[in-house]
Amino acid sequence: MNANPYIPILAIAAVGFGFAVFSIAAAAFTGPARYNRAKMQAYECGIEPSPQAAEGGRFPVKYFLTAMLFIIFDIEIVFLYPWAVTFDQLGLFGLVEMAIFIGTVFVAFAYVWRRGGLEWD
Amino acid sequence: MTQDQQGAFGASSTGDTSGYGGLTQAALNIGSSQRPFGGYFDQVADDLERAYPDFADAIERVVVDRGELTLHIKAARLVDVALILRDKLKFEMSMGVSGVHYPDDKDRELHAVYHLLSITNNQRIRLEVSVPDTNPHIPSLVEVWAGSNWNERETFDMFGIIFDGHPGLTRILMPDDWQGHPQRKDYALGGIGVEYKGAVIPPPSDRRSYK
Amino acid sequence: MAPWRSRMGLEEKLPSGIVLTSVEKLAGYMRKNSLWPATFGLACCAIEMMAAGAGRYDLARFGMEVFRASPRQADLMIVAGRVSNKMAPVLRQIYDQMAAPKWVIAMGACASSGGMFNNYAIVQGVDHVVPVDIYLPGCPPRPEMLMDAILKLHDQIYAEKLGPNREKVIKEVELAAMNALPIHQLKGLLA
Repeated sequence: MNANPYIPILAIAAVGFGFAVFSIAAAAFTGPARYNRAKMQAYECGIEPSPQAAEGGRFPVKYFLTAMLFIIFDIEIVFLYPWAVTFDQLGLFGLVEMAIFIGTVFVAFAYVWRRGGLEWD
Repeated sequence: MTQDQQGAFGASSTGDTSGYGGLTQAALNIGSSQRPFGGYFDQVADDLERAYPDFADAIERVVVDRGELTLHIKAARLVDVALILRDKLKFEMSMGVSGVHYPDDKDRELHAVYHLLSITNNQRIRLEVSVPDTNPHIPSLVEVWAGSNWNERETFDMFGIIFDGHPGLTRILMPDDWQGHPQRKDYALGGIGVEYKGAVIPPPSDRRSYK
Repeated sequence: MAPWRSRMGLEEKLPSGIVLTSVEKLAGYMRKNSLWPATFGLACCAIEMMAAGAGRYDLARFGMEVFRASPRQADLMIVAGRVSNKMAPVLRQIYDQMAAPKWVIAMGACASSGGMFNNYAIVQGVDHVVPVDIYLPGCPPRPEMLMDAILKLHDQIYAEKLGPNREKVIKEVELAAMNALPIHQLKGLLA
């Protein structure tokens, strides 16, 4: 009754962590490792993956850029939700504050736009 | 253009009991059709003559057969005629490029056939260009109808007609390093004999002599 | 990247005996009971394969309704349809990218032997490209025939041996194949 109510959560977290570690360790020790060249390459629907530059050139950077930009602007939108919920209470103060916030992120958006980060090809 | 063909198929060395050996297929000799052509073909020919004064120079032959109009055009004038047809006569759509191979027609072995459709006027015509096997170059129509891109690649792959001005003329159906052009008449069908217990059945192209 | 340090799994290192036999049975049971197919539907046989995965002829009863798009998550490649000469290297690459243990069903006449297309463009049987475990004739085979092939493959997987037993089986099969009569010397109905 006096015990901390969060102890069971800690216990289940420990069990989960232990299970994950056990699975990975058991697979690493007992599993086979049969490599071949095709298995080490990126999957590109059966054709040779492109580009074939150095290790770093294996993945076109435009995918990373798209993902990063999405994360940033998605989180910006998430920050707009509480403002939408408490719109009435915040009033003018909220409007000015959110305008400054959106303006700040807009500077970053304009920079990306002008530097060509939104071009796919 | 071709000779009379005797017999459809069947053995010519041994006795032929099928009866098909006695068939005669008449030779294919195409002349030019005379005016009036009938239907909307007259209107198309008149519009083309009006828009393109060198009409008689570029068109080798006009053939109206079985309700279809075919204009045989010289290869050098193809792009001009195509532009006139697209812009002035409103043939907005090209249904593709087909290739034909007439091995007996010396100096005019390879034909490229373009089917054009006018959506506004509901008209269809056909353009045919003939080139010799020794110099199989036809100007590309990619700038006129953008959809001809892959169609011309396919015609190149299957027949060996080289389209000058094409942005990337490579094989499209066969693997990139394939030798030969499969849809030509002298290209063997390929195929391997099938081994059964006690016999080998030859591939279909070797089983009987099709003429 | 090469040389990679390849190694066999623990189950290949067990000595022959009752332990190995039990492990074989267990591993065979596990491996056959949720084979995940890789999508390699090429032509008409793919329609029948889809029908086999759909409601009436249900592949989900074997746990096989998950057709993985990525070969890295699949164990079974059902080559359904004709393989052209242009597609053959793609087929081989996908097969190589699958993780062992992997099996191949050649579904339909075209995958088994080139089918009706005995010409320059079609590979005369995918066993020219990948090793095949089950050949399934038909043009196209009915979904029930595909399920029969899958069940026969299940029996084959259950009976697969590991470790020293497997090496013994490989030696026996090789000896039998070396001593067997070649096809052109066999006498059948056509001789």
